[in-house]
Amino acid sequence: MAASPMVNPGDQRVWVNTDNCKACDICVSVCPSGVLGMKYESTSTLGAMISIDHPEACIGCNECELTCPDFAIYVADRAELKAAGLSFAKLTDDAKERQAAIVANNYMSLSEQGVK
Amino acid sequence: MDMREVISTGNELAAIAAVDAGCMFFGGYPLTPSSEVMHVASDLLPKVGGVAIQMEDEIAGICCVIGAAMAGERALTATSGPGVSLKAENLGLAQMAEVPLVLVNVMRGGPSTGLPTRVSQGDVLQAKNPSHGDYKSITLCAGSLAECYTETVRAFNLADRFMQPVIVLLDETIGHMHGKADIPTVEEVKAGIVPRKTFDGPAEEYFPYECGPTEPAILNPMFTGYRYHFTGLHHDKNGFPTEEIETCRKLIQRLEDKVAMHEDELESYEEFMMDDADIMIIAYGSVSLAAKETIRHLRKEGIKAGLFRPITLWPSPAKKIKEYTDKIEKVLVVELNIGQYHSEIQRAAARLDIAGLFKVNGRAISPHEIVTKVKEL
Amino acid sequence: MAFNYDKYLRLEKMPTLWCWGCGDGVILKAFVRAIEKMGVSQDDVCVVSGIGCSGRFSSYVDFNTVHTTHGRTVAYATGIKLVRPSKLVVCVAGDGDALAIGGNHTIHACRRNIDMTMIIINNFIYGLTNSQTSPTTPKGMWTVSQKAGNIDPTFDTCDLAIASGASFVARETMLEPKKLEKMLIKSMEHKGFSMMEVLSNCHINLGRKNKMVSAMENLEWIDSITTTKKKYDLLTEEEQLNLLPLGILKQDLEADEYCDMYAEIQKVHQGQRAKITQDDFVKKI
Repeated sequence: MAASPMVNPGDQRVWVNTDNCKACDICVSVCPSGVLGMKYESTSTLGAMISIDHPEACIGCNECELTCPDFAIYVADRAELKAAGLSFAKLTDDAKERQAAIVANNYMSLSEQGVK
Repeated sequence: MDMREVISTGNELAAIAAVDAGCMFFGGYPLTPSSEVMHVASDLLPKVGGVAIQMEDEIAGICCVIGAAMAGERALTATSGPGVSLKAENLGLAQMAEVPLVLVNVMRGGPSTGLPTRVSQGDVLQAKNPSHGDYKSITLCAGSLAECYTETVRAFNLADRFMQPVIVLLDETIGHMHGKADIPTVEEVKAGIVPRKTFDGPAEEYFPYECGPTEPAILNPMFTGYRYHFTGLHHDKNGFPTEEIETCRKLIQRLEDKVAMHEDELESYEEFMMDDADIMIIAYGSVSLAAKETIRHLRKEGIKAGLFRPITLWPSPAKKIKEYTDKIEKVLVVELNIGQYHSEIQRAAARLDIAGLFKVNGRAISPHEIVTKVKEL
Repeated sequence: MAFNYDKYLRLEKMPTLWCWGCGDGVILKAFVRAIEKMGVSQDDVCVVSGIGCSGRFSSYVDFNTVHTTHGRTVAYATGIKLVRPSKLVVCVAGDGDALAIGGNHTIHACRRNIDMTMIIINNFIYGLTNSQTSPTTPKGMWTVSQKAGNIDPTFDTCDLAIASGASFVARETMLEPKKLEKMLIKSMEHKGFSMMEVLSNCHINLGRKNKMVSAMENLEWIDSITTTKKKYDLLTEEEQLNLLPLGILKQDLEADEYCDMYAEIQKVHQGQRAKITQDDFVKKI
């Protein structure tokens, strides 16, 4: 039986359940660190899907998980991550700048064109 | 059966019966001529650890009763015609979600505000279909003081057996009539309580709405480790909303069949001097008391009249009625409305020549009026 | 993982039927997190929801759940709570459900101060049925039943609850889920009737024809019409006119709770105490 999508698929800081994502942009908008972005995906709701572009920049603030209306994105438990020998990042100015650019790009990943 | 003699009114007896039958919740709103049921319930229920509440309107009155029944208690409301009109939508939810409850309707002159303190039997057709959609009503009618007690007790057992609302019709005459009644003892009533079926296997194997095609849902009380969903939408075996074609069809068919296929359990009527009758009077409720007096009078004159008195009005005793109407030419329906049960009698008899004596001015029908009419037949 | 959502969800029903970005999902998540933090067993929780998008709330959560007729959540819940006073009973209703058709029941549940929580998810419109005016739709907005512009004045949900006698009244939005979660816990832990208004977005219905097409634009709008109670109290009347204060707006820990009072009634009828009289109350009228 497949593991619940809630379970960390393997020492990730943040991971998604693409079955549930409806491409609402909210998680991208609340991330302070430019971790997330939407990518074009013709087979899913609104033709887009969440993408974790910069997992290394995740600071573990949990805002994306808490604001996702669809149980589509999860953030690792700080203690569990530590036990795996990993940690969350610190928030940097570069990350903040990248986040601002993603917002300006209509929440699309910077590698994608911003008009949906 | 062990009996006891009491002196009371119809309304009081209905409330006393409910408490004796294990009812632990009353919710309602004052409405003449039913309010005494609420007044008595509000004294009797807290005594036994139950709850009686006067809500802000008739609709809240039925909703809190449905809630209490969902939680697992036997629950009662009492009202009159205008209240049933207001409660209609939620009665429909109780039918759809299969929630047992008893509604006592003490009928008064209608329609609308009508005649609040005067008698009628004008809610008979309403009791058959108070709410929209397809379902099968169970409606009982008390024809004496004692039946205000015994039919209310029976209503609770039927509600739990069929998992739906059961309507007990009184009328203003019987509701306010004060007199002697011989009723079963409390011990007899308690011994006769048949509570709703419950499931006691593991919760993963519990599907409240998965039952045989002529069986009611098995709804475990809330908060007992079996979590499921109540809704007025069409639903699947868990109670979750669905639009799936077969599931929806089966659900509605089952709501019909769970009653229609077990009419033998519901049928109840009285045959008064019908053995050799060549004139049949059909009457129910307080009118049946006048009808019996009529028959005693007619018999003294050598006229062989008899009374067929339905006690369960819906589903109607159609088969039994047809047995009689097939062999008796002179049939007279006497009721305090403009022919609501008369049309059902004609339907059951497959005849269009059934006579009717209808009175709609808020006054009782006297034996004299019925005698006169019978002689005209 | 940090939080076991699966425990509280009816997984076979996911994903939800709510539109992308609908605040209902955020509120649902905050609610189950709150229940977990309170340590209440799932068997001891009853969620009663009304008709509308928020009405589907109860079908997604694994508690004892009821989906009622339009406007009647608190009436059903009153019956449930009165026969099971020790259980946690929560109502979830939309602005139309709770304030239009259900207005009377909401008022009286506040008045009775019966121990339950009513979460009114206010998205300022009738969402499920496609954009009809609700009692909170801002004046001048386009609705499908008032295409020339809404002329209906609005309710202030919290003012209504306070005036009706609720002993705990709070307002939050789905913009700040951490705050929302904390406030939900406070509402549910309060003994008495807690009315919690949660402002939410409906970009598909309210927003789309009112120049707020995306979820984000609606969230920004909600942000623009709200402020904390602390800041609100310092503003002029003119500044307050188009703002709604967030936070606890009323908290009365002394008010008599209805189930407790009814227990006294039971004692009277069982001969354990004298009848209740005017002298039992400070506020008599």
